[in-house]
Amino acid sequence: MDQVFDEFKDAYERGDGYGLAMTLSPINPPSQPDRLYTFFRSTNAASAIQDFKYRILYDNSTSFKLSRDEGNCWVDIYFAYWKTVGEILSAGNATKANSKAAWTKVYEAWKELTNHLVRGYNSGYFEAWTVPCLYVVGKYIRIFAIKADEGAVNNTGSATSFQDDLNPEAEQNETLEDAARQLNRLFQLCLGDRAPLEESRKWGIYNIINLLFKTYFKLNSVSLSKNILNAIQVYRGDMPSFDAFPMAHRVTYKYYVGVIYFLEEEYAEAEKHLTEAWQLCHKDATRNRELILTYLIPCHLITTHTLPTASLLAPYPRLQNLFLPLSRCIKRGDLPGFDAALVAGEEEFVKRRIYLTLERGRDIALRNLLRKVFIAGGFEEPKEPNAPRVRRTRIPVAEFGAALSMGAKETMDTDEVECLLANMIYKNLMKGYIARDRGMVVLSKAGAFPGTGV
Amino acid sequence: MFNAMASPWAIPPPPGTQGQYGYQQSVPAYHPVQVRQTFNQQPLSYAPMTTQQAPQAPQPAAEAPSQRKKIEWPQPVRNYVQRSFDPSNLIADIPRPEMEARLKQTISAATDSNSLHTIDWDNLPLPQVMIQQERAQNALLWRQESVDLHLAGSGSVNSARDMTSRKRKSQDVGRDEDSSSTPPWRTTNNRNGFEDRVTFQATNERLDRRQQPSSPDDSPQRNISKFQKNLEKRQRRFDGGYKSSYQASASPEPTSGPVVGTCQNLEKKYFRLTSAPIPSQVRPEPILRQTLELLKKKWKKEGNYSYICDQFKSMRQDLTVQRIKNEFTVTVYEIHARIALEKGDLGEYNQCQTQLRALYAQNLGGNPVEFKAYRILYFIHTCNRTALNDVMADLTPAEKEEKAIKHALDVRSSLALGNYHRFFRLYLDTPNMGAYLMDMFIVRERLAALSNICKAYKPDVKLRFITEELGFESDGDAAQFIFDHNGQDLLVEQSDELRLLTGKAGSIFDSAKKDAFSTVDIKGQI
Repeated sequence: MDQVFDEFKDAYERGDGYGLAMTLSPINPPSQPDRLYTFFRSTNAASAIQDFKYRILYDNSTSFKLSRDEGNCWVDIYFAYWKTVGEILSAGNATKANSKAAWTKVYEAWKELTNHLVRGYNSGYFEAWTVPCLYVVGKYIRIFAIKADEGAVNNTGSATSFQDDLNPEAEQNETLEDAARQLNRLFQLCLGDRAPLEESRKWGIYNIINLLFKTYFKLNSVSLSKNILNAIQVYRGDMPSFDAFPMAHRVTYKYYVGVIYFLEEEYAEAEKHLTEAWQLCHKDATRNRELILTYLIPCHLITTHTLPTASLLAPYPRLQNLFLPLSRCIKRGDLPGFDAALVAGEEEFVKRRIYLTLERGRDIALRNLLRKVFIAGGFEEPKEPNAPRVRRTRIPVAEFGAALSMGAKETMDTDEVECLLANMIYKNLMKGYIARDRGMVVLSKAGAFPGTGV
Repeated sequence: MFNAMASPWAIPPPPGTQGQYGYQQSVPAYHPVQVRQTFNQQPLSYAPMTTQQAPQAPQPAAEAPSQRKKIEWPQPVRNYVQRSFDPSNLIADIPRPEMEARLKQTISAATDSNSLHTIDWDNLPLPQVMIQQERAQNALLWRQESVDLHLAGSGSVNSARDMTSRKRKSQDVGRDEDSSSTPPWRTTNNRNGFEDRVTFQATNERLDRRQQPSSPDDSPQRNISKFQKNLEKRQRRFDGGYKSSYQASASPEPTSGPVVGTCQNLEKKYFRLTSAPIPSQVRPEPILRQTLELLKKKWKKEGNYSYICDQFKSMRQDLTVQRIKNEFTVTVYEIHARIALEKGDLGEYNQCQTQLRALYAQNLGGNPVEFKAYRILYFIHTCNRTALNDVMADLTPAEKEEKAIKHALDVRSSLALGNYHRFFRLYLDTPNMGAYLMDMFIVRERLAALSNICKAYKPDVKLRFITEELGFESDGDAAQFIFDHNGQDLLVEQSDELRLLTGKAGSIFDSAKKDAFSTVDIKGQI
């Protein structure tokens, strides 16, 4: 106990928010594997409050002094922390069957801590430098909620599913939804701070937003993220400039905003945010870079029809597995191969919500195949010996049909071939027109396949 | 519904009345109703479900709170009272005040109904025994209420909530009157404290003379202002005292746990619940099964959708309030979903679909493949990408091979890739009732395909080609479609056949297509 409060006082006197937040961490740091246990054992339910009061408020052996109200608020917080630690220790020992109840208790205790902390801020006892405490509290309220909900799925199966006749998913994520509400309170706490910017809780806002995004994604209600974006938009005049926020908060924020736009099919906007995230991201944060690329690569496929190079993917074997088979088929114009690769990766693509986007890469594969047909058509007989060579631009539909039927199980009928060609023309991937009565495709002499050099 | 709530004459059916629907009844001052007022005065420790009580010998009626005339109590009654208080007859877990209250109530009921001399007091169960029987009855009911008692979270709270709702209702009545009219006497009343006090007493006396049961002031749950109470009393004076009985019994006796219906009527109009369901108005599963058969027949014979939809909604409600979840529930939702589909009522369809998804997750039978396919088509219609992704994530590889689901997935991918040729082939070969859903978005997809064709084909195409590619039934239909979207100038006759001047279409179909996609009406309710 003394150690915790020594650290508390030390961090407090130095104004070290992260150090202060560390004293509320509900996990053992690697250097002190028994920290939680020792802290919990150092007092008991009957005397904990007195012990904490003594150490925070009445200990005269040091020069450390707090106002009575603020001190009492910290006492409440540490008492809630002490109770949480107790629940965590017993949850660690709980059998599988009891784990739901145990983690729910952890969650409830941690929520109480959150409440005390929020109250402290709302009453104006805590200064803005202490916001890292909010980070810790927010981070773990989400984690504990997920653990409590996991227990729910294992245990109460039929019972819970009976009750809800409206929303089966809400039931499974009951605790996490509550956690989202708590996080939203923290968000409001930061957003609504009217103190001058240099001592404002607004500096903590992106960290909390990122936690909220994470939670909304997990809850399958990405659309709620839009509310946050709108709120930020409204308050943007009263915010510190985005560049001034900690890098880590910015990267994560940009990543999530990019993904939100990605899911709304606003690929240009998504690309912008994801590119920013990519550029800000620390070069050794492999996992984060991998996540960013997971969405940035499909974005590029749609917006610029470009594929990732081998050297870009080299450090990320998972991304290679994800994208290389498709990339190869797109480059070669191998439609059956593309379809097979899409089916093979379907589960993973759907899970990452990139399936519907990648599927559209088939258009590029098709374009590349048709382009090959065009090139194979060679050049017109030159009318004059020295005139520049002109590609043959009048191509029978049947030639495209032959290409499309290659490798496929059955021959594609002419109408469908025309349909695919019409699509290419409609989407501006190919310039020209179909003269149906003559069974001919007439392609533009200048750039039949825009952006590909022919 | 407004009527039922606001009319001072609206009195809920008395306990035991079965199959009454709606509150409209012209009933004079009603004795059994008054009982509850007495109940409300007691600190309630039991009391739920009087509705289900076994009939008791004396019809209990209210005691009048005021002094009665001196009554010569017959000897059997005296004996009865004596026996009630005999220590050897006391039952341990029934508190004495409760017993006394019951005793008092029994006797006053008998007095009021002049049956003091006709009741067989020697064989009438003692009050404590009555209470015990009642409790046993309730316990029995509790046991019936399926396994999942505790999760009827509402269960334990129900009685409290019921009180609240009753309270709110009675207050609302007061408030309504406040806002609707401000009669002169009201303002006077408010200002003149003295008059206030005078009327207060006068009213009380009058009420007593009318044998009006305890005035609502005495009931502890009432938390309304004195002004309102006085207001009520005044009103009561004017409308002959019925008002209070309405207010005091506006909602049914509190129930615990899921309702167990007792209604025997097959048909029932849908009525959105605003308070706890009344068992006598809820049909139990065996009745609902008969209802379903009846509705199926009626639907075949009459095809009256608004009637059928209403009836199905009330069935669904009865199933929900009783928490019946089995293959029958699935059948009800499936049939309603199919009928709604047939009628293009997407709002109802979507409600059913949502429930069905939850029901299928519990493996209760039914036709999950058929409806999962509809679900995919539905999300195609509503252009809900996120939901489509989720549906795909939920499907097992085996399900993806099922004919209906495979069809729906193919529809999705053909649209995603703009392959209208394949899309319209699939349209013409849709399993089950999927065509009704596809009809919802066939127009916009035809427009999309048409604008596609107009951009790609030059200078023209045969109308026949359009008919075949876009899955029209005849050239006439195709031409009509083009006409409907302002393409009449593009149709020309050349050498005995109609041709579409695709090269001249410009953006006619393109803009029509954009309009069509921007107004996806999800509700689609009739």
